[in-house]
This record gives sequence, C-alpha cells and structure tokens, in this order.
Amino acid sequence: MVSKPDISVKFCNLELENPYLLSSAPPTCTGEMIMRAFEAGWAGAVTKTIKPDKTPVYDLKNRFGVMGFENKQMIIFENIEEVSKRPVGTWVNEIKEIKKKFPEKALIGSIMAECKEEDWEELARVVSEAGVDMLELNFGCPHGMPERGMGAFIGQRTELIQKLTKAAKRGSSVPVMVKLTPNVTDIAYTAKAAEEAGADAISAINTVLGLIGINIDTFEPMPTVDGMSTFGGLSGPGVKPIGLRCVAQIAQATNIPVSGIGGITTWKDAVEYLLVGAGSVQVCTAVMWRGYRIISDFVDGLTNYLADKGFSSVRDIIGKSLPKLTAWSKLNKDYTVVANINKDLCIKCGLCYVACLDAGYQAIKFEQGKSAEVDEEKCDACSLCTHLCPVPGCITWKKVAKQVSV
Amino acid sequence: MSGRVHTKTIPPHERISSFAPYVSNLDDRLAVYEASRCLMCFDAPCISACPAGINIPEFIYRIKTGNFYGAAKVIRESNILGGECGYVCPVERLCESKCVRRNLNEEPVAISMLQRFAYEKEKLKGLVKFPKSRPKNKKVAVVGAGPAGLSAAYELARMGYSVTVFDSNPRPGGLLFYGILPWKAPWSVPESEIGLIKEYGINFVTNKKIADLKSLLKDYDAVFVGVGATKSQKLGIPGEDLNGVYPAQEFLYSVAKWLMGEGKAPDLKGKRVAVIGGGDTAIDAACASVRLGAERVYIVYRRSLAEMPAVPYGRNQAREEGVEFLLLTAPVRILGDKRVKAIECVKMELTEPDSSGRRGVRPIKGSEFCLDVDSVIVAIGQKPDEDLLKSYGVKTEKGLIVVDENFSTSIKGIFAGGDAVNGGETVVEAVAEGKKAAAAIDKFLSGGKNPKK
Ligand SMILES: Cc1cc2nc3c(=O)[nH]c(=O)nc-3n(C[C@H](O)[C@H](O)[C@H](O)COP(=O)(O)OP(=O)(O)OC[C@H]3O[C@@H](n4cnc5c(N)ncnc54)[C@H](O)[C@@H]3O)c2cc1C
Ligand SMILES: Cc1cc2nc3c(=O)[nH]c(=O)nc-3n(C[C@H](O)[C@H](O)[C@H](O)COP(=O)(O)O)c2cc1C
Ligand code: SF4
Ligand code: SF4
Ligand code: SF4
Repeated sequence: MVSKPDISVKFCNLELENPYLLSSAPPTCTGEMIMRAFEAGWAGAVTKTIKPDKTPVYDLKNRFGVMGFENKQMIIFENIEEVSKRPVGTWVNEIKEIKKKFPEKALIGSIMAECKEEDWEELARVVSEAGVDMLELNFGCPHGMPERGMGAFIGQRTELIQKLTKAAKRGSSVPVMVKLTPNVTDIAYTAKAAEEAGADAISAINTVLGLIGINIDTFEPMPTVDGMSTFGGLSGPGVKPIGLRCVAQIAQATNIPVSGIGGITTWKDAVEYLLVGAGSVQVCTAVMWRGYRIISDFVDGLTNYLADKGFSSVRDIIGKSLPKLTAWSKLNKDYTVVANINKDLCIKCGLCYVACLDAGYQAIKFEQGKSAEVDEEKCDACSLCTHLCPVPGCITWKKVAKQVSV
Repeated sequence: MSGRVHTKTIPPHERISSFAPYVSNLDDRLAVYEASRCLMCFDAPCISACPAGINIPEFIYRIKTGNFYGAAKVIRESNILGGECGYVCPVERLCESKCVRRNLNEEPVAISMLQRFAYEKEKLKGLVKFPKSRPKNKKVAVVGAGPAGLSAAYELARMGYSVTVFDSNPRPGGLLFYGILPWKAPWSVPESEIGLIKEYGINFVTNKKIADLKSLLKDYDAVFVGVGATKSQKLGIPGEDLNGVYPAQEFLYSVAKWLMGEGKAPDLKGKRVAVIGGGDTAIDAACASVRLGAERVYIVYRRSLAEMPAVPYGRNQAREEGVEFLLLTAPVRILGDKRVKAIECVKMELTEPDSSGRRGVRPIKGSEFCLDVDSVIVAIGQKPDEDLLKSYGVKTEKGLIVVDENFSTSIKGIFAGGDAVNGGETVVEAVAEGKKAAAAIDKFLSGGKNPKK
C-alpha cells in the first residue's frame, strides 16, 4: 500500500497542515470561534474583516437570503452583512490569545479602511504586530462598504488597489495578501495591479454582486429589512464556476500564490480549485451551513482522493489543469464525435428526444416504451442530451471520422 | 436521485376505530419535493396508463413551480372526478405502474398523492369551472349518476346539451358513496365534485328507477346508460342463503347507509368473519368488518398472493389491520341451521400456468377443514342487474351490456359505459368511458358531422 499522501502545503510564508482555511466571514467572527475551528482541524483562518474604530459599521437585522432549486434548499447564498463591528483592541487581544494557544495554525488578519493611505498603513501595523502570520486586504466586499469608498470600490480601481496595497505593505510586518472582487470586467488585470504593487499573494473571490430574489407576494426584494432591500453578495455552490474561472485567470496572469475561494462545499470543489492553481482554499458558506465539523471530510476526502490517484503530495496537483486551459481559438476543430445511447441503460424517458428536437439538431429517434436512438448523420455533438439524460453513463461519445463541412 | 415521499399514517390499532381517512396529505413543501422527482418524460408512459389520459407531467410540473391551481386545471380538464380519483385510483396498476422512475430502480412518483394535493388546493379557491358551449337545443337522458353517468352528463352539458340524470338512489354518486368507504376518500370529495357538475345546469332526478329505456327515447334525443354492476356474484355453494351471509356489495351498501345515518350496519362486534375473494372489494369488506368490531377477519382466496387482483396497497392495509389471509383456500359449503356457524374450506394447489400465464388451481383431496365463523361476506365479483338489462332490451353478453367502439348499444340512440359495460373496473375507467360515450353521442346528435362549436 502507498503511504498516506501528504496534504500539507506551503502558501507564501505559511506552513499549512492542510490547504483549508476559513475565509473572513461569520465563522471567524471571534477568537473563541476561530479557536474552536482550529480544534476541529482547520489549518488556518482569516479573521472577519477588522476596520478602524472610527469607521462605523452596522449589522442589519436579517441580512441573508437564499436561492434554492427543486429539492435543494440553497444553491446560492446572499448576504448584506458588513465587516466586523468589534474594536481593534479586542481583536489585538484575541489574536494574541489565538496565536499563543495555536502557534502552529495560520492566522490571517483581514483588514479594511477608508481610502486613506495612512489609515491602511496604521491598521496594517497594529494588526500585524498583534501577531497574525499574514494580512488580507479586503478590496472585495460588494455591498454597503463600496457606498462609503471601501471594499469593492477599491477592488474595482487599479490605482486604489496599488496605492493602498503599498500603504499596507509599509505598515505590515508580515506578508500581505490582496482579496479581490469578481465584480470587475477582468480580474486578471486587477490581480496584476496588486502584484505590481507588491502584494505577496492574492485571494479570490469575494462575493458576487447580486439580488437573490423578490418576494412576489409582498413585492419586497430580499433580504428584506423593514420592507426594503439592497443588492448583496452571492456565495455558496452556485458561485463556484465564477470563482474557479477567476482563480484560473489569476494563476495564469500572475506569479504570486492564489488562495481560492467561492462556493467550496466539498473536498471535490477544493480539488478543482487546487487543479487550476490555488495554493490554498478558503471556505465560508459551507461552514455557515453545517459547521466547522465538515473539515474532517474535507481532509479525509482529499487524502483518499490523492491516494486513489497515486499522488504522494497534494502539492503535485496544484495547477495541474492549468495547461489544459487555453483560448477558444486554439481548440481542435477537427475533433469529431457523436452521441451514443446505451440501449440497456436507457430508461425510455424521452428527455433527450425532446431536447434535441426543440433545442438541438432533431437527431434523436424515440418511441414510447423503446430506447432512444441517435441518428449519427444528424448529431452535431452539442452535448445537450448527455447532460440531461437522468441515467449516468447512458449517453456517451463515439469517435467518428471528421465530417465534411458544409 | 431522490426518494419518494411517504406521509404520516394513523397507526392501524387507532385507525380501525373509525371509518375516517388515515393517510395525511402532502403539505406544500413535500408536494414540491415530490413533484421535482418527476422527470417530465416526453410522451410519458404514465399518461397512457391513465384511463382518463391526464397530462401527468404537465400537472406535476405546475406543482413544482408553485402553480397549484394551474395543476388542478390540468387534472380537471381530463377528469371531472380528478379529486376523487386522486384518492381512490388503484395507481399501482395504473399510472404509477408505468412511471419511468421505476426503470431507475426507484419508487414511482407519487402521482395520486400529488393529484390529491392539487385537488385540496383547488378546493380552497373553488373547483375549476370551464366555459360552456352555446345551448344545442337537444336533450339527453343519463340513467345512473355513478361516475360513468356523471362524466357523460358533465361532458354533454359542457357541449351545450340539455341533460337530465336519473338515479334510483336518493343521492347522485353511485358507488362513490354506496361502495367506496370514507377511509379511502372523505365523502366531501365526491360531494364537492358533484356540486361542480351540478353547476353546469344539469337536471338531477333522484329516487327514480328507470326500467324502460325505449319510452325515454320518446322524450330525449339520446340516452346514456351507466347503471353500474351492483349485484354480487353468487358462490353457488350450499348454505349461501343462511343468515349472516352477505353479498359484498350489499354489505358495503348497508355500511355506507349506516354511516349516512340511515338504517343499521350488520352487527359484527366480537364476531368472526370470512370474506371470500381476492379483489379490492374483498379487501374493503374485510377492513370494514374490522372497523365494525369483528374479532377475527379472514380473507379466503383460492389462489396465491401472486395471483391476487387486489392492489398491494390494500393488501398491506388489511394485513396491518389484522386481517388474516387464508390463501390457496376455497369455500366448499357454509354450515349452520338458520345462522352461519362455520365454513368448510378445501386447500388448493397451483397448476401450471395456462397460455395467458395465469396459474390455475385445483383442490387437494382430503384437505377439507372447517373454519368457525359467524358471518361470510361474498366478494367474488359483481354484475349488473340482470332483470333490469332484460327490460331494457339491449344486447348483453355474460350479463354485461354490449357496446361498439362508440359505446353505442344494440339500440340506436342508447349508449352505455362504466361498470355495466366493463363488469366492474374503476372510477377513472367509468369516467373515461362516460367521456368517450359523450363524444360519440355528440357525433350521433350532430348527424355524424363534427359539430361546429
Ligand atoms: C366496495 C367497492 C370499492 C371500490 N373501490 C374503488 C376504488 O378504491 N377505486 C376505484 O377506482 N374504484 C373502486 N370501485 C369501483 C368503482 O366504484 C366503480 O367502478 C364505479 O363506481 C363505476 O361507476 P358506474 O357509474 O359505472 O357505476 P356505479 O358507481 O355503480 O353507479 C351506478 C348508478 O346507477 C344507478 N342505477 C342503477 N340502476 C338504475 C336504474 N334502473 N335507474 C336509475 N338509476 C340506476 C345506481 O343507483 C348508481 O348510482 C369500488 C367498488 C366497490 C364496490
Ligand atoms: C455573511 C458573509 C459575510 C462575509 N463577510 C466578509 C468579510 O467581512 N470580509 C471578507 O473579506 N469577506 C467576507 N465574506 C466573503 C467570504 O469570505 C467569501 O469570500 C465568499 O463568501 C465566497 O466563499 P464561499 O462561497 O465559501 O462562501 C462574507 C461572506 C458572507 C456569506
Ligand atoms: S434521456 Fe437518457 S434515459 Fe431518457 S430516453 Fe434519452 S437516453 Fe434514454
Ligand atoms: S449531442 Fe446534441 S445534436 Fe447530438 S444527439 Fe445529443 S442533443 Fe442531439
Ligand atoms: S412516467 Fe413518472 S417521471 Fe415520467 S412523467 Fe410520468 S410521473 Fe413523471
């Protein structure tokens, strides 16, 4: 038997026992919570974002919303929560306590201030000196804070990213990671700006600006605060494709480590992030949903996966899929396949038929009570049927010689 | 992948103290959950397996989206007794038997539970009523206000015919009240649906037995006959005339009457009852006996469980409620002076399957035994009233009215459907036949031409 794979990673200066960090969010609201998370097995945590005492923040009463789908209660989560209300002094004391009790765990201090360099420099100094191992600059919060020139307001302006990253670097005694917002046209561009300004790492994504829903009985948008609402930040399973894309783009564009965030719900999601270049991953919504205890499966699932795949270290998979990501124009236009239905597996639901009929190439034959059949001449290999067939492995690809184009 | 929803049921020892329904309905959350199990199959086999042809994926999809009233509309469009059918259809041999989910080794979508749900939602707003066509100036008589007659009457009234329904019972509904007991469907369900049918301006004449059809044809342009099959088949063994032997139909009829506050139900308190037969009616008679306080209830059936026509759902219910199954057992004679004292039975053995695949049975010599019972309920099938059909003068075969593919009898202008034609099927089958007969009557009355709406 292969020896147990090593799942520890080195992320910048951090020696992490596993790649899993709690992101800056409700699960890291207090020192007591962070310490319980460490006991549960998380390798590190990013504190809920700390802001200068002079900057007022509020916690609206009811600040979350969810979007479900069919049997799923939640596939996208929304929040309009602000950063930590707690005084810097409280955090300083708690950071000291956490580091004393858990010296081997990674503690990252998330900070945010108004667009004044001296504020960022000062906060970076105070929090880094309290004993965190790294700072994370919150340039990403898309709700509330941007109205006051903070969060995504900064992350959407490269000149501010650079000015404030530099300011934080001046004040900080530890490496500085910049947390970016996906609410930009090109996150590779903002990531490069941060790298140029001296950021030691990037984390992405913060939440995606959205509107989780409208109550069609009351006409009130959600989450509803005394009858009114505002746009909020989306997280959870549904934002994973956005996060993956952003992390891959950042990994392609920069030479500094990326901490992958966004919709990571299971170890499989984490593996995907690692494969596109994340050097560590951060989790929020999944923990909000089921608690710190999910770390045990995150760890075990990853370990078993690596063993099954024959990897001795998780480091071997970081970025492994990146070379397979290229421009659309570089994809092979000579590659030709057709859909192929396994008659024995087909349950005769006719779903592929109606899909190909109404949204494909009228390439499937179907009669009630009989297995569906592909007309290979007509199949354009769009793949629609393969995805909606309810039977796993029933519709697969068959390679054929290239058709003469018309 | 997702498992089928099962709702709460009242435990057997509690439920048998009443005739009330014991299965709770889906709530909104469970209904939407169950609805999302439906794959929305194309040309769905469940539709073909529904005699009324309800567009099942369509109504279930509407439940999934929260359009509950819209779901009810889809059901009502195809089945005027859709609520009742949601409660009483033997779905294990109808729609659910063909559900594609089964091909995935899963339980079928709970179609009838969803249908009930849609009906209960519909009731909150008022049952869906469709517009009527312009009056047609032609009169149709419907004999029998059971599901078949109700369905035909409704369809014809909607088409604009002037319809009069005659029934010998004091209330319309047929077996919906006088056969199907309320633990299956609360009587408020058929009451509401009959109320809806009445809104289409149909004239109901109750307590009126029709013995002569030809004279009806003098006053009406066409007649639909849906007189049901309310006579129980006889066993034809000695002792069948003893006190305490009940034909199942009459037994259930008297229980229903008693539940309505009229007359008395057979006194079975502390008694031992043998129900002869293996169909759904035998199960109902057994479960009714349990509810009447019988101490021991046996189902005596000639074949094995595999051949039993009763749906598994009912068999389970009976077993849960303490009914004992004596399989491969046939009655030989009923013993007693005036009253039943015992029933003599013989054990049977299965023979090789015949060409239809069904296995026959033959008695095992010398295996006779006596079962001490106080009552015997005979539930081995039903047929229409022979004398009645004779006086109607319509052609019959094996005691059933013969109709062609247009549900037309041997007498021009007289159509028929339901149990009197099919020998005793289901509510939904009767509804479907009433519907098809109505379409044929329309064609007949408009001179074969497709009438312009
Ligand atoms: C105990 C029992 C349980 C059943 N359970 C179920 C079940 O769970 N699910 C299901 O789908 N089906 C069930 N059925 C079958 C179902 O009830 C019948 O198939 C259905 O009612 C047939 O409808 P119909 O209109 O043909 O006849 P009926 O319902 O029998 O109606 C016939 C009507 O005609 C009237 N009538 C008869 N003669 C005359 C006359 N001469 N003049 C005027 N009126 C007359 C009668 O009074 C009656 O109202 C059950 C049947 C029985 C007996
Ligand atoms: C309720 C809530 C509050 C959050 N607060 C912060 C915050 O204070 N600072 C920050 O950098 N990110 C904050 N985030 C963003 C998360 O750290 C994370 O980037 C995002 O939720 C995506 O990850 P997920 O899909 O694992 O939740 C918050 C997210 C949620 C849901
Ligand atoms: S979708 Fe899949 S299971 Fe359904 S008919 Fe097509 S091939 Fe068969
Ligand atoms: S791959 Fe596309 S074109 Fe081919 S059969 Fe499937 S749906 Fe039709
Ligand atoms: S067969 Fe089953 S899954 Fe398919 S449409 Fe009917 S109820 Fe839905």
